[in-house]
Amino acid sequence: MNNNSLWLLLQKMRRPFIVIVVTYTIAIIGLISIGGISANGEPYHMTIFDAFYFITYTATTIGFGETPFEFTYPQRIWVSMSIYVTVIGWFYGIGSLISILQDKLLIQEIAKTRFEGQVKKINESFFIILGYNNVTKKIIGKVLSKGFRVVVIEKNRDRINELILENYSPHVPALEADIYDPNALELAGIKSKYCKGLVSLFEDDNLNLKIALTAKILNKTTTLAIKSTTDNHSENLKDIGVEIIENPFEIISQQIHMLLNAPTLYQLEKWIYRIGDLHSSSFTLPRGLYVICGYGRMGRGLHKILNQNNIEAEFIEIDNKLGEPLNVEGIKKVLTKNADDKDVLIDANIEEAVAIIAGTNDDTTNLSILATAKKISPHIVTIARENEMENLSLFEYANIHYIFMPSRLLIHKTINALIHPLSDRFIHLISAKNEMWARDLANELREIGANPSLFEMTIDEKHAYAITQRMKKGEKMYLDTLIRSRSNPKEKNSIKVLLLQREGKPYLLPQAVIDLKEGDQILFACSEDAVDDIEYIAQNIYELDYILKEQS
Amino acid sequence: MNFDKLISGFFIIFAMTLNFGFFYGDIATLEQHSKYELFAAIVINIIATTLKIGDKTQIGSVLLATSLVADIQLIAAATIWTIAYYTNALDVHSTAVIISLSGGALMANVTSVILYIGETLKSKR
Repeated sequence: MNNNSLWLLLQKMRRPFIVIVVTYTIAIIGLISIGGISANGEPYHMTIFDAFYFITYTATTIGFGETPFEFTYPQRIWVSMSIYVTVIGWFYGIGSLISILQDKLLIQEIAKTRFEGQVKKINESFFIILGYNNVTKKIIGKVLSKGFRVVVIEKNRDRINELILENYSPHVPALEADIYDPNALELAGIKSKYCKGLVSLFEDDNLNLKIALTAKILNKTTTLAIKSTTDNHSENLKDIGVEIIENPFEIISQQIHMLLNAPTLYQLEKWIYRIGDLHSSSFTLPRGLYVICGYGRMGRGLHKILNQNNIEAEFIEIDNKLGEPLNVEGIKKVLTKNADDKDVLIDANIEEAVAIIAGTNDDTTNLSILATAKKISPHIVTIARENEMENLSLFEYANIHYIFMPSRLLIHKTINALIHPLSDRFIHLISAKNEMWARDLANELREIGANPSLFEMTIDEKHAYAITQRMKKGEKMYLDTLIRSRSNPKEKNSIKVLLLQREGKPYLLPQAVIDLKEGDQILFACSEDAVDDIEYIAQNIYELDYILKEQS
Repeated sequence: MNFDKLISGFFIIFAMTLNFGFFYGDIATLEQHSKYELFAAIVINIIATTLKIGDKTQIGSVLLATSLVADIQLIAAATIWTIAYYTNALDVHSTAVIISLSGGALMANVTSVILYIGETLKSKR
């Protein structure tokens, strides 16, 4: 309670209190000094308590009548006067007390204190998520389901109410405050040892940068997941030391690059993000002339990637300012016209183009561009950017070949990076691989199933008790042991080890003969049942004994 | 001259003097103590307390605490008196309790005054 305004409010309570006390006192003094007549006709004076009792119920307008005896006329004259004074005093006093208690500031202070208490009570890993919207909503749901806690800071009262209505379990404490306010971040527990990370995915790059700076100053060790949409900001964030920089447009460009060169890699990535399976075989994007509508942040990223792949492209941009830089570079003209116009598309050689990318930041425009393009050239490959995340997506019904959704990419990227750091690392590692490599891996994975689960494990006392016990005795344990089938230890389970990380160094697709060390982190792709098997073997001493005895 | 300081100083000292007036006298004889003085002491004490609400300074919080102690003791004394009076149990024992409670409140009042004087001396103006 270090807020000045709170003290000011308390000071405001002085006057109503004093008014009540003074009016009561005057009325009581009058009552005890004016003489009355008792039931027996003897003169008497009210006791202090009698007077206090009478005034208490009269001033509050309850009015039990004249006690202890019927009043004399002098008493009644005094009472009628004092009623006006005390009742008005009471109403004024109570009225201002209630208005002070209802003061927005006070309520906010109380909410803040309560929030602080809730955060302090969290004694398991939690993430701080800034802003509550469609994107973070999905992230919150996923993070909670993985057994982590979440704390939210949001500026907008209505959004907070929305969050409350969502009834998350376990409870998600939410604070109404300015997002970049260091105090708010501190209240949200950024300094807590349980704070595992902070997520800031605002549209405004500068705001994100500001938050990243503040958060890093407050706590150097928290993982930050920050969105950035330009290279410049990404650089800045890197300099501050932000661990997870999420640039949706860069991800999209990279995915286009994958689709051009190694579609199976793209398929693998989608599978790791849990938005696709390995079932269908993948198609490569055709090479040829591309028409790209929108030369904003996404268009620029695409331009770079297409250049790398030596693919010609026509750009159409409605905004003169955005179109200019490319003209200066003099690589290819940007048509500064409205792409949502048949003639403009024809101008951009749509009839010869093999693919069209509708990448403006307006969904209606994107849909309409693609519809027009398909009419002109029915066999063109259509690629769309979907901006708004809605429950019912029109894009899905529009027969578009590839849909890229920056907000959804952000969700998957964030969740992966925060909760499945190994998967994130794996994606990063494979992005440099070629189609052959990817196809081999995909074929191996398909043997497990169309959609194998991903399972991450750390070799330590908590997650692999049996293994560490053996290792403490000086025995060598091999990765091979973990991937045995429990029903028949002589055979391998349907497991593929994707990644082993030792002291920060990654080993991609490690051999089964590799020996384990404490602190190793392993990423498995396996069937649901195999997850249980791995855990049993790692944790249970008897299971491990059995496997070791029978495996060779 | 600070008008706020004048008012709060007035009430703090007034509360002490009134309380002393009530407390002074034989502890076992109720006739030597005026109930009206106790009533006045309670009212003035409550006002003195109210004036301290919301004071953010260290000394302000301590003054508020001592005033609250005095309030509680005096109100307890008045309550015991009222109950004993209406149940005809007003004997030497209950009298001693009433007076000693007000004596305790007096100690708190004295502490308040000392703190108040100390604060006044400390300020340069």
